Amino acid sequence: MKVSIGSLGVLLIGSLLVGCGSGSDSALESTPDSAPESAAAETSPQTGSAEQIVLAIGGESEEGYDPTLGWGRYGSPLFQSTLLRRDADLNIVNDLATDYTVSADGLIWTVTIRDDVVFADGEPLTAADVAYTFNQAAESGGLTDVTVLAEAIALDDTTVELRLEEPQSTFVNRLITLGIVPEHAHGPDYARNPVGSGPYRLVQWDEGQQLIVEANPNYYGAAPGIQQLVFLFVEEDAAFAAAKAGQAQVASIPQALAVQSIEGMTLYDVTSVDNRGLMFPYVPATGETTPNGDPIGNDVTADLAIRQAVNYAIDRQALVDGVLEGYGSVAYGPVSGLAWEAPGANIQDAQPEEAQALLAAGGWADSDDDGILEKDGVKAEFTILYPASDSTRQALALATAAMLEPIGIQANVEGKSWDEITPALHSNVVVFGWGSHDQTEMYNLYHSQAAQGDFYNAWYYANQAIDDTLDLAMGAPSEAEAIAFWQAAQWDGTTGFTTQGDAAWAWLVNLDHTYFVSDCLDIGQPQVEPHGHGWPITANIAEWAWTCS
Amino acid sequence: MQLRSILIFTTQKLLRLGLLLLAVAIFTFVLLSLSPIDPVQAYIGADMMQISPEQRQLIAERWGLDQPMLLRFGDWLGQLVQGNWGTSMVFNQPVGEVIASRFSVSVQMLAIAWLLSGLLGLGLGIVAGALAGTWIDRAIRLYAYTLASSPTFWVALLLLIVFSVSLKVTPICCAAPPGRLAADVTFWQHLHHLLLPALTLSIIRVASNTQRPRQKQIEELPSDYVRPAVHSFRGAVQSFTLSAPLTQALKRLSQQSEVTLFMTLLAVFKVLLYRYTGQSDILIGHPIANRNRPETEVLIGLFANTLILRTHLADTSTFAELLQQVRRSALGAYAHQDIPMEKLVEVLQPQRDLSHSPLFQVMFILENTPIKTLELPGLALTPLETPFTIA
Repeated sequence: MKVSIGSLGVLLIGSLLVGCGSGSDSALESTPDSAPESAAAETSPQTGSAEQIVLAIGGESEEGYDPTLGWGRYGSPLFQSTLLRRDADLNIVNDLATDYTVSADGLIWTVTIRDDVVFADGEPLTAADVAYTFNQAAESGGLTDVTVLAEAIALDDTTVELRLEEPQSTFVNRLITLGIVPEHAHGPDYARNPVGSGPYRLVQWDEGQQLIVEANPNYYGAAPGIQQLVFLFVEEDAAFAAAKAGQAQVASIPQALAVQSIEGMTLYDVTSVDNRGLMFPYVPATGETTPNGDPIGNDVTADLAIRQAVNYAIDRQALVDGVLEGYGSVAYGPVSGLAWEAPGANIQDAQPEEAQALLAAGGWADSDDDGILEKDGVKAEFTILYPASDSTRQALALATAAMLEPIGIQANVEGKSWDEITPALHSNVVVFGWGSHDQTEMYNLYHSQAAQGDFYNAWYYANQAIDDTLDLAMGAPSEAEAIAFWQAAQWDGTTGFTTQGDAAWAWLVNLDHTYFVSDCLDIGQPQVEPHGHGWPITANIAEWAWTCS
Repeated sequence: MQLRSILIFTTQKLLRLGLLLLAVAIFTFVLLSLSPIDPVQAYIGADMMQISPEQRQLIAERWGLDQPMLLRFGDWLGQLVQGNWGTSMVFNQPVGEVIASRFSVSVQMLAIAWLLSGLLGLGLGIVAGALAGTWIDRAIRLYAYTLASSPTFWVALLLLIVFSVSLKVTPICCAAPPGRLAADVTFWQHLHHLLLPALTLSIIRVASNTQRPRQKQIEELPSDYVRPAVHSFRGAVQSFTLSAPLTQALKRLSQQSEVTLFMTLLAVFKVLLYRYTGQSDILIGHPIANRNRPETEVLIGLFANTLILRTHLADTSTFAELLQQVRRSALGAYAHQDIPMEKLVEVLQPQRDLSHSPLFQVMFILENTPIKTLELPGLALTPLETPFTIA
């Protein structure tokens, strides 16, 4: 079948070329040299150089490149620069800022900035631009959340004061991710004509196809090693094909293709905090409903012994090896691998005996010999929902269910669409995925006040001690001081939301992000990447270098 | 006169299009508003853990999603009338610009696809029609049917695999080579990148473009003359006389077959047309007095109607069978002679064309009323033959 279509295609091409050739003779004569040359350039694989590399890593920002609307919300906005940034180890370091202080009540952040920075158009970047950017972002209905900002005021050319409505230690993430826009050149057209002080400036954007950027000659940092970058917006399979054809020097590929090899390219297996886990409804089903009328609670998963037993019974390394083909790491909490992970929260898993002991101690026994435990007439049975379109989550759900069967817990696995999962969210176990460099996520996952019948704390987890700790973390003046509280919320030796405490979730794995990178390209040390959007691998792109001559 | 009818036609069509679009807009709006998908949630997507309720409110305000449904629709419609198509939530850009920026590329691609499919379809159709029934015709038909029943995206994927991945003769993506600035893209590169998409689009269209010329050709080839696009209404009269014995024989045949002389003559005429046209489905018009009630018989006025007598000559192998078929169709038509032909055309809605009348092209009348010579005192009257030049 394939052959016959192909040969018909050849037939068509043949007749087509005849048709074209006869009609365009004059054009051919007028450019006798350029036509064959360009045809040859396209058929032979393009190799990268210090002049230009092609990146097929997806992630087109269809909305454009306006930071006040959410561009660069995962950090490194490319065209713009940020006050602070995270280094390879996710430590916070200065970028535009030379220093910043937070008042004792956590309400006033004072930032001093460099005085030698100019935008790509040559205009100087002053504190007024910073204040403008923050005020603008706070008012705009985009995807960056700066609503905690009361107002930003430029005290002088290099000092800006950010006044908050309430203390928020995670506000530092806005300083890390919000690219500064020029007040004089910012308007409705800015998203398609971004002007910033970042390492690169926009040359051409063919929407839906490619983005061409070149090194910004006015950049205040070290000059980027690669002069021109081309971001190719193709699907993962096409990205792989482009890499294989030598047309792309960096290609983001699905893990299923990572086992393949491409000549002249190396597989980069970048650790991420792109996590997957089982979310347990925390309260019993009492007939209570969310404001939308969706049921809340599950009598089986409301039992601590069940939740802990699941956590102990699962063999996470087997999931990494079996489901993720080894391209992943085990996860015991929502921030596994990040600096604010509680070191003591990890457990020794793959222990069905330990799980069975916990269940027995919790009053669960198999009284009718059907292989499934009971307690007070309730069977240890629940449904694991996963979005049907996601094969990784499906495999995780099925593998987990198989691991729970030997300890007497019956997990029924069902794939559904998000529209069906959403109302069932608060009463069923769901395979979820999160992962961010911003601790706000942890707060919204576990704080009891966040549970409003939406995705925030959809499982109605509630522990006053944890609430207090999370509030302390959020109210701390700096990230460094907040980290102790973030860690304590996970596990402080007596309480926590991880397994040894309330076991609110059974976290399973962190996915690795897999890239093929040209052997001639030195991309330095990649950061631990967040839940897959944007271009996390480009965080240090100014440091990339072409090593072949 | 013609200009006016074209104007009326265009206005009607435009009006209908406008109403259709309005209906689609209302339908889409209501459906989307009632669907469980929250547009704010859809906009936020995977960032939901980073977006506070306050920011959600800002987003809803930005897109006017905090307003009631009717108000939003009215607002949108009002702006639309003033020429403002709104702002795309996906592209953060006026919808008009979003469409315009994609329009030129699409138009180029469509134009090439139309041209290719037109030329290719016409060529293949003519070849297939001229060689109808041969293996070449069959191969072309198989090709057309196969493509007509294949989804475009599937054909596109196959072509991409063959030409871009395996043979590497066409580019994998984009309207220009990656990394090349718009100003540096040569005409050839542009064409090279348009080639596969345009080809894919045209291949599908080729299928239908092949069938029509082929069919038309098969219809027209056996005839001696080509039918002009517009009626010429040129005509002539051909008179001839049947001999008395032949007339008697015809009458006898009619009696034996239990048909009227009219039916026999009609059958003969149908055979004649069948031989001339090579078509077996023959429709002939026949005027009828339509006074089949005693009350109307004595009234002054025009009741005449036209019947359509249809015969499938392919279904008969002998003339006797044909005669019976003509009888059945005639009796059937007589039974319903009071149904006006205009009504029939209205209901059947045959495709109208200036080159021919609807439903039938030939009428057949048997004038068997005895011709009485009009006698006026003092005058001798004889019928005068006038040359007919119209039809």
